[in-house]
Amino acid sequence: MRRAADLILVVVLLLAAGATLVLGGPAASPREALAALSGGGAPEVRTIVFGLRLPRLALALVVGASLALAGAALQALLSNPLADPFLLGISGGGAAAATAAYVVLPAAALGVVPAAAMAGAAAATGLVWWLARGPLGPSPTRMILGGVAVNAATSAAILTMLALAPSPRLPGVIAVTMGSFASASAGQVGWLVPYVLVPAFVLLLHGRDLGLLATGEESAAALGVEVGMVRRRVFLAAAALCGGAVAFAGVIGFVGLVTPHLCRLVWGGSTRRLLPRAALAGAALTALGDLVARRALAPAELPVGVVTALLGVPFFVALLRRSA
Amino acid sequence: MTTLLHASSLSGGYGGEEVVRGVDLSVCEGECVAVLGPNGAGKSTLLRLLAGILPTSSGSVELWGKSLHSWRRREVACQVGFVPQIVNFAFPVTVTEVVQQGRAPHLGAWRPPSPHDHAAAAAALARVGLAGHGGAAIQHLSGGERQLVLLARTLASEPRLLLLDEPTAALDVRHQLEFADILRQLVSEGVGAVLVAHDWNFALRLAHRLVVLHHGRVWAAGQPDQILRPELFGEVFGVEVEVLQRDGGPLTVLPRRLARRREESLEN
Repeated sequence: MRRAADLILVVVLLLAAGATLVLGGPAASPREALAALSGGGAPEVRTIVFGLRLPRLALALVVGASLALAGAALQALLSNPLADPFLLGISGGGAAAATAAYVVLPAAALGVVPAAAMAGAAAATGLVWWLARGPLGPSPTRMILGGVAVNAATSAAILTMLALAPSPRLPGVIAVTMGSFASASAGQVGWLVPYVLVPAFVLLLHGRDLGLLATGEESAAALGVEVGMVRRRVFLAAAALCGGAVAFAGVIGFVGLVTPHLCRLVWGGSTRRLLPRAALAGAALTALGDLVARRALAPAELPVGVVTALLGVPFFVALLRRSA
Repeated sequence: MTTLLHASSLSGGYGGEEVVRGVDLSVCEGECVAVLGPNGAGKSTLLRLLAGILPTSSGSVELWGKSLHSWRRREVACQVGFVPQIVNFAFPVTVTEVVQQGRAPHLGAWRPPSPHDHAAAAAALARVGLAGHGGAAIQHLSGGERQLVLLARTLASEPRLLLLDEPTAALDVRHQLEFADILRQLVSEGVGAVLVAHDWNFALRLAHRLVVLHHGRVWAAGQPDQILRPELFGEVFGVEVEVLQRDGGPLTVLPRRLARRREESLEN
């Protein structure tokens, strides 16, 4: 049963990737794109497919996998089904810093926006950790409450900057706050892929520990988990994945929250089993979300964060009703 | 008999406040030691200090003659099974998945469970009488069954020493007796146990020795017939009790009323 589900997941991922390359936009028809993919076709179509659509697909896959993996790890770490990079303020910190960079910096310096986003996510992570500290280390409840506070503060900051932003910068700000892969490039992918490998490895390494932490800190410690060390590593790794995602794609909600729950329905409650599958499912969902964002109102393009939220909310409500 | 655990002048607590002060305690193979005392006496804190879950502020704990500090957490978890009071299950998991968590200390980060790991988990589940419930969601079990699953999870790691924190607090009388039978059997097989309990009569069914804590210190310690006197209950709990023994069976504590000192303080 689970093996069949694994196979279906891989097939869905491949179909999502293929559909994105073939149906990615009006600039090249599906027939032309297929011809380019099979080695033929016009040079300009090959440029569209391999120079524009492929980097965009790769970025969507890496960002989706990062967000879903981080969400699954944070939910287990904090024993909380609602935990995700957004709730914990990490995405908000990255988005606020990127928005500030868009509003303040001269046009020639906008290349530093991703670095600003990562710095903002790191600052928010540090702030949440500091707010959550206590005599026995940071507690899951305080981390969530600290995250909610940081999230509220960053939202207020973003809205203020949106009100003050010069109009030529608004599209960039909207791309950051609502998510977009429109500016994807091979260079971004080449930077992001090696960057996510270390935090992803750390989370997969602690998959079994995370399954135990999902049952509470005392229970995990009793079964051999070095709680303080694992908590530090997992939180930093999840924040790093989220920071990388925000830096190149802005805030994409619901992927980190919903994907792990979707995977639990299919593969059960083992966190070790869940993590790699959540990453693949997050990659597939984000690629499909980006395809819908491009095609739904073509030639206009929706922010991908809007699409993932539109797809995620009904699913989340259904999940809520089911658990009741 | 081999000494499994020896604590000497053990102190510790939370955020600089000492809850347990200078406690001496040891457990041998095939011995059950019950730790009793009023609410806030430091019983659960003592158990966490013994398990190494909470750092000690002074004193020492030795497992098999070796300082607890020199053990890695996973090594401790392979030998010492700790049954906490409460375990939260935030996500749906099956009973089998919960019991298999008990094998985690033996597996490390990457190794998948071997046939022996599966067999140990299945045997632990059978031992608590829930062999047919492996596929059930833990959230669907009663409180008593859930507590038995937690015991099975601990037993799956094949521990030689058990630390149990009020394991029967939420159980009805039938589940209490089931739990007592399983524990008695384990102790007769050579497993050592430290049992924190509020129910004196449950503890007296199982314990070879009692340790009574009051304000974080050992107020009395020894075999039940040596230390069980009505005055002890007046001093520690502020209640009057009768200590009974019928037909050579275990001692039984029958609470009568609040002690005079307590009644007077209530009136004031």
